[in-house]
Amino acid sequence: MAAAVQTETVAITINDIELHVPKGELIVESVKRLGLEIPIFCYHPRMKPVGMCRMCLVEVGFKQPDGSVRKMPKPQAGCTLPASEGMVVYTDTEMVHRDRKGVLEFLLINHPLDCPICDRGGECPLQNNTLAYGPSTSRFLEVKRHLPKAYPLSEYVTLDLERCIQCGRCVRFTEEISGDSQLAFRFRGASMQPSTFQLTDFESRFSGNVIEICPVGALTSSKYRFRARPWDLETRPGLCTLTPCGTNVFYDYRSGRLVRINGRTNEDVNEEWTSDTTKFGHDALYNNPNRIQVPHVREGEAFRAVEWSEAYAAVLGACEGKRTAVLAGTMLSNEDYYAWQALARTALATNHLDLRWQKTLLPASQMLKARTGLPGVQYGIADLENALAILVFGTNLAADQPMSYLRTRKAWFRNGARVVVAHHEASEAESFAHVVLRYRPGTAAELAAGLANLLAPELADATRIATPEWTEAQTGVPADRLREAAEALRGTEFAAITTHGLFDEANGVTAYQTLALLTSHAGGKFNGLVNHANEQGGREMGFAPDLGPGGEAVTAGMNTAEILQAAAKGEIDTLILVGCDPIRDFPDTALATQALENVANLVLVDSAQTEACAYASAILPMALPAERDGTYTSSERRVQRMERILKAPGESKAPWQIAMELGLRAGSSAPYFHARDVMDAIAEQVPAYAGARYQDIPETGVRLANPEGLTRSNDAVVQALQSLLGGR
Amino acid sequence: MSELIQLGAQRPKAPAPDQLELRFSDKAIAELDALRTHYPTEKACILPGLWIAQREYDGYLSPAAIAEVAHRLHRSYAEVEGVATFYSMYTTAHQPGRHMIEVCTCLSCHMCGAYRIADYLEAKLGVKLGETTPDGVFTIHEVECLDACDRAPVLQVGDQYVGPVTEADIDALLDRLRNEDSSAVVQLADSIVQVHLRDTERAK
Ligand code: SF4
Ligand code: SF4
Ligand code: FES
Ligand code: FES
Repeated sequence: MAAAVQTETVAITINDIELHVPKGELIVESVKRLGLEIPIFCYHPRMKPVGMCRMCLVEVGFKQPDGSVRKMPKPQAGCTLPASEGMVVYTDTEMVHRDRKGVLEFLLINHPLDCPICDRGGECPLQNNTLAYGPSTSRFLEVKRHLPKAYPLSEYVTLDLERCIQCGRCVRFTEEISGDSQLAFRFRGASMQPSTFQLTDFESRFSGNVIEICPVGALTSSKYRFRARPWDLETRPGLCTLTPCGTNVFYDYRSGRLVRINGRTNEDVNEEWTSDTTKFGHDALYNNPNRIQVPHVREGEAFRAVEWSEAYAAVLGACEGKRTAVLAGTMLSNEDYYAWQALARTALATNHLDLRWQKTLLPASQMLKARTGLPGVQYGIADLENALAILVFGTNLAADQPMSYLRTRKAWFRNGARVVVAHHEASEAESFAHVVLRYRPGTAAELAAGLANLLAPELADATRIATPEWTEAQTGVPADRLREAAEALRGTEFAAITTHGLFDEANGVTAYQTLALLTSHAGGKFNGLVNHANEQGGREMGFAPDLGPGGEAVTAGMNTAEILQAAAKGEIDTLILVGCDPIRDFPDTALATQALENVANLVLVDSAQTEACAYASAILPMALPAERDGTYTSSERRVQRMERILKAPGESKAPWQIAMELGLRAGSSAPYFHARDVMDAIAEQVPAYAGARYQDIPETGVRLANPEGLTRSNDAVVQALQSLLGGR
Repeated sequence: MSELIQLGAQRPKAPAPDQLELRFSDKAIAELDALRTHYPTEKACILPGLWIAQREYDGYLSPAAIAEVAHRLHRSYAEVEGVATFYSMYTTAHQPGRHMIEVCTCLSCHMCGAYRIADYLEAKLGVKLGETTPDGVFTIHEVECLDACDRAPVLQVGDQYVGPVTEADIDALLDRLRNEDSSAVVQLADSIVQVHLRDTERAK
């Protein structure tokens, strides 16, 4: 899957310093090698250069045979100028300085200079470039033009047209990166303006990014507008805990209150992008007006605020010798999951614990590893970029795995990867798919069999009934289309990607396994990813009814659905909910409500009031991820660390701390003083995490390698595929 | 104040593909399919596609017309709208009259009295440049050099140039056009479409 490395270099001279750079490298990038900088507006390293703003003008010449330099008569745009042999560049001459002044004077002619009330003020490239390179006065005395201000393009993005410098970054982002092409320039010349079609709603899953890449305050966040000045904000690196991708972000906060989320660069994960869920979803979580401050226990109809010790005593009293179950949300840290499963399995003496909230909950014995010996996560998000072909199967990738989606699209856009999209409904990925296989809902397994039939010629005849024609009859995907898809994938060592959402389809498990085997057989790599924030970490920590830490087998307890069913029948005395609300999270709301009504003791560990509170007997305030130290494992199995950013409200504690303190009181737990100590305990029990100790995790996280021996010989794979398909 | 604007804001959604009212005739669809084969990408087909739409939608590239082109060429609405609003020969502002009279007011024509002609047209039709007469017959426009300076002052109607024009010529021209039922704007669009097509691809 590796791309060829370009090694040809050329000798160029920048400000009289000679250096060698790759042939064709843009001058705006080459100067960075010398620690110099060319001012820019429209250029963005992740997008194609367009040379629209002229901010990056430099003087350029060429070495003549006699050693003299012949300069071009006019300055050149450094962002569109590829380095070539003998090129001589000047970034610091009298002419360049005059040009920069001129460009800025032009840009400012009609610029409103709202700086005192502009969201960008203080972090505005236009301000910065003007300060560093601009003229100190303007010769333009005429009246400035006026245009709509505060134009809401969507719920999230507000356009201030007067401030736009028409750099085209936003337009190019939607065209090149997110791929929805929702923004375009309308009209031309001085009236040119970026906008959506007929100013309709800007519908994109990645719209928030244009706010960050706009070099002025033209595209602003509707949520953040006028809420703070950048210099009043404190900022710290953190992680998104709403999507499974492990997106790296900055939490910007003021007086302890989260005000905005910005993307943080991690080349292995999100480059610098965020999905809108990431960018705009955290606000409601952290700034929830109903945050719980102190522990409460029920007294009749009302709750009484109590000390932690009293709350702990109440919880332990309710669990003592009772039938107990624990359910957790998907946003907890690895330490939380580990500590809670340890507590459940010792002091609470139960294996009824789960963190999964989808319809279909597979026992470990049916998971990929147990059934086929193949790991469910075989490559990282960044690896998608080098794939020659990508098979997106049974998932709306942009919604489920936003960062994998962006990489898939990048692989196609940049490297021409062929993408095959198979799903039962329309999805964004179809817009760049080489072949679209739209199957009838519930026929994913048949489609996978059809693909296997075409791509695995070694299969025994008995299993070869899934001919393209048979598949067409079963799934509604035209036989020729299927053949086309197989051709696109054949011999490419393709990357296959699907999610656990596939389990919810009829025979989805078979489809999932067929796909994994088929991919392995074709020499490709398979990813069957979890769809929720730290679900992956939770499983590996042993927060599962039938698997302990590190996948050690235990007597199987009940899963989420079974726990709720049992509770509804009154077969559970004490139910502990850690950061979840079954009424909100479980697909069957009626069952969830009934369950909560029928448990004698409902213990809630949560950050804010939820519907479940109405049934609770004790409520313990929980600190949210950014309010404590912790590690998280993303769907690609990257372990990343987030240190405390915000102060937890009131007396809230980290869930692992609550579990540990309960355990101490019950005499079953050793004291941990920091998430680091929990990680040390984890490293001992979960071998994969031995290399991911708290203090050792690098800034970009570590992606856990799959243990050796989890790849299988081709014969074994063919055999497994055969027995899987033999039944049809 | 902008807070208030935001609170009340309800942006309409762009039409979903199944909400589009497609108006291309069979002939138009065949022409578009033929043109598609002339270019390596569908993106490159946007310009001729818009000409077909301008003909099919009576000389006016309404939002619906733009959406139809985008839909048929698998491009985003915004992208096609951007193209359509960039070029001045596409009419995207409002429905033009049956005949569009374009008055060149560039240098040579200006020297030869283009604004006298423009003023005369405005007075005679009772509308300003850029407007359409209430009966929907005439739209008058000001344009840049038509590359016929030797005949200044020049007017363009559909694919015909008239010049040098006098007030009397205008009287005659308006009378003639008023009695012509076929639309010059549609005709112009059609002749541009035909120029793009190969002989074998033209509807006979
Ligand atoms: S975009 Fe920058 S220069 Fe323009 S008003 Fe805002 S802060 Fe000032
Ligand atoms: S809105 Fe911002 S990003 Fe978009 S063109 Fe204008 S200045 Fe550039
Ligand atoms: S940065 Fe080079 S032209 Fe804009
Ligand atoms: S100036 Fe009118 S045709 Fe050239």
